[in-house]
Amino acid sequence: MSGRILVTGLGGICAAGTGPEQIWDALAAGRSAVGPIRDWNASAWPAPVAAGIPDLDPRALVEDRKLHKLLRRTDLFGLYAAARAIDASGLLAFRAGLDPAAAETFNDRSGVYVGPGGGAYQNQYEFFPALTAAHGDLVAFGREMSAVVNPMFLLRSLPNNVLCHIGIRHGFKGPNACVTNHAVSGALALLEAAWALRDGEADRAVAVGHDAPIEPENVLYYQRLGLLSGAAVRPFDADRDGTVLGEGAGAMVLETAETAAARGAPVLGEFLGGGCASEGEGLLSIRADGDGPARAMGLALTDAGLRAAEVGLIVAHGNATRHSDVSEAAAIRRVFGPAPPPVTGFKWSIGHLLAGSGALEAALGLLALRRGLVPGVATLRTLDPACAPLPVSPAPQAPRSDVVLTLSRGFGGIGVALLFRGLTGSVS
Amino acid sequence: MSGKRRVAITGIGLVTPAGIGTAATWEALLAGRSGIAPIRTFDASGFPVRIGAEVKGFDPGRWIEDQKLLKLANRAHGFALAAAEEALQDAGIRPTAETASRWGCVVGTGIVGKAFDELAATHAECVSEGALDTDRLFSSHRMGDPVTFCRTQACAGVGLLLRRFGIRGYASSVHTACASGGQALGTALKVIRRGMADRMLAGGFDCMLNPVGLSSFILLGALSPDNETPERASRPFDATRNGFVLGEGAGVLVLEEWTAARRRGARIYAELAGDGNSLSSYRITDSHPSGDGPIQAMRAALADAGATAETVDYINAHGTSTLMNDRSECAAIRAVFGPSVSGVAVSSTKSVMGHLISAAGAVEAAVCALAIHHSLLPVNANLTTPDPDCDLDFVSERARPRRVRVALSNSFGFGGSNSCLVFRHPEEVGA
Repeated sequence: MSGRILVTGLGGICAAGTGPEQIWDALAAGRSAVGPIRDWNASAWPAPVAAGIPDLDPRALVEDRKLHKLLRRTDLFGLYAAARAIDASGLLAFRAGLDPAAAETFNDRSGVYVGPGGGAYQNQYEFFPALTAAHGDLVAFGREMSAVVNPMFLLRSLPNNVLCHIGIRHGFKGPNACVTNHAVSGALALLEAAWALRDGEADRAVAVGHDAPIEPENVLYYQRLGLLSGAAVRPFDADRDGTVLGEGAGAMVLETAETAAARGAPVLGEFLGGGCASEGEGLLSIRADGDGPARAMGLALTDAGLRAAEVGLIVAHGNATRHSDVSEAAAIRRVFGPAPPPVTGFKWSIGHLLAGSGALEAALGLLALRRGLVPGVATLRTLDPACAPLPVSPAPQAPRSDVVLTLSRGFGGIGVALLFRGLTGSVS
Repeated sequence: MSGKRRVAITGIGLVTPAGIGTAATWEALLAGRSGIAPIRTFDASGFPVRIGAEVKGFDPGRWIEDQKLLKLANRAHGFALAAAEEALQDAGIRPTAETASRWGCVVGTGIVGKAFDELAATHAECVSEGALDTDRLFSSHRMGDPVTFCRTQACAGVGLLLRRFGIRGYASSVHTACASGGQALGTALKVIRRGMADRMLAGGFDCMLNPVGLSSFILLGALSPDNETPERASRPFDATRNGFVLGEGAGVLVLEEWTAARRRGARIYAELAGDGNSLSSYRITDSHPSGDGPIQAMRAALADAGATAETVDYINAHGTSTLMNDRSECAAIRAVFGPSVSGVAVSSTKSVMGHLISAAGAVEAAVCALAIHHSLLPVNANLTTPDPDCDLDFVSERARPRRVRVALSNSFGFGGSNSCLVFRHPEEVGA
């Protein structure tokens, strides 16, 4: 029953590129996609930068134009990344060769797991014209609202839109989940998908995390909370002063080894294990000792049946806020001792994709193993003594083994760790 | 089955339109006493739909003395905190410093946004000609309040529950529209089965009964317009039904690994025995007339529980009181149960307490556990004109005494996610 779970497709999009390989190349070349906010005039704001996707053409991401009025910006990213991962896996071509009954079983045995983000504020602005028309009178608002507000408002607001439309578009009908858990959403969607396959609930699943947090009101809150840098993401640096919001999505197709072998699927990696733990101290609180992420990493190692020494690379959350990085370094030392494997992070280049970050960073971590290269953190100048010792570097490093651990942390003090092995070729 | 860790339901907390607290809710569900009335929490007199299933007379301070915490809670979070407090009291166990990391929490969360008064304040403060003016947004002292930010995070509810009750294990919030509560319990069941936790606080909470939430369903034409007869407006499976009634509330359960619950001599309402989860992949809001989607969820749930259709005595239906759902759900039940459908009693408690959206699946799971515990089936109120397409054995007119071996709870959401949960009488659980 506890068979192996393989990765057979990757998809991703963010400011640094429209596919995982292109994004990885930007990381490896030391290129940051962080730049001035373009969607509104933020030049006077203390944090006028973001890693937004420039010149977005919705039709290039989702061909069906009829769908666009039902989708938010974040949904476009999620659907795009999922479709690319499914394309890359070759699953649909395989299904096309099945007889109708077998194709129906295939669909019922195909799961969809999504960690969505975005849309908390901007979406509700649909009601502004109705509020203007009502002049502050609720009775008038109730009377006039139907004539002013887009009837599709609720459908566009559904956090499970990507889940729904992956199903309709690709025909997948199996077990599913939609994890609305801030910055661990994508990682937890991946973990739930992998565990569902391990438990035999489905034969394959697509997991995707997506977000589009660069909207004025959201940026204002992050700024007021002191979470944003005005210039750059410098993980573990002594001069780090906050994170930078990014947008996009990451996706993976996971399959049981049996079904992947039966169709000669391309194999990129293997899911080994995962863990989730919380600190329970409040929405915005973080324990200084790294308790939550340390336990998440410990649970993942236990789940995978691995010793810490077998991990070859750590993709840290590394969001470059004062408290998060120092507690994360403490957690890594607690689990890995004084000499952890090479540590890196990707947010310095792609920004913090919140719900999208865990899924995209896991995909990029797998690519690092396949290329045998740990991209450096190009913005790192002086390691914060409070984070030391930590083997993080502006220069590329070599992974110590073919196992990568990725760590994601979100509001509520919730941490998720994932372990993958990098593989090449196809299963037999 | 033999290798699976079993999961016991040992605590129930409910804040519903039918009553605050499990006892008050259960009594109203048995009596068929409607929780639906003209909307009072805001002036709905201009809206075409002016009725709702409101939680009446709710004061979170009666349950939670921590005022600092409550300041960060919106109305739905208040429901969740109160329901969780009741569930833990009911179970007679709480997380301690020693056990905190073996407790988890999974909740079904609603579509999160600003409360209407906060949205109206944003509008008054920084909107020009119907659009946001970012310069005014940035320069306003009233905007960017961290308290508003905290209340509008999708994971705010789970964050508050973790903090309030000192839970430090697996924690997640999920959203699949009206299936959210069911999927939260299904996720929690698996967390315990997989050995990731021994005890879970799991449930759902929602409050869309505000001008924006009400508008959003009116715009879709989903709500019953029967403003003059609110207590009759929700009539699932009745031939004259014309939409659902929007409700609010929370349901929270304490789930425990079976042997741990037995060891401490806990009162076990029922086993949470199985979870089935499917995607219709048909249309965003429509259900397939054949019941495709829900059929797979029910079959998967029964298989997961190691139960057969013949042993099912009660189904708490999704039963929203919309033509499309009710007929599709009946078709699905007939397809799954075949000839044994005559032996299963069905009711939709939405007839009494309306549709609690993301809380519905959790509250209705609690109803199944209570039906098993009390050997009583709650009534499907307002079913007086039979619909030939919905020809099941409904618990109409009055509650029905019946020992329940196995119960099912269906929850189907916009977006096509279908959740079916299976509950088993504790005496039916083999040694």
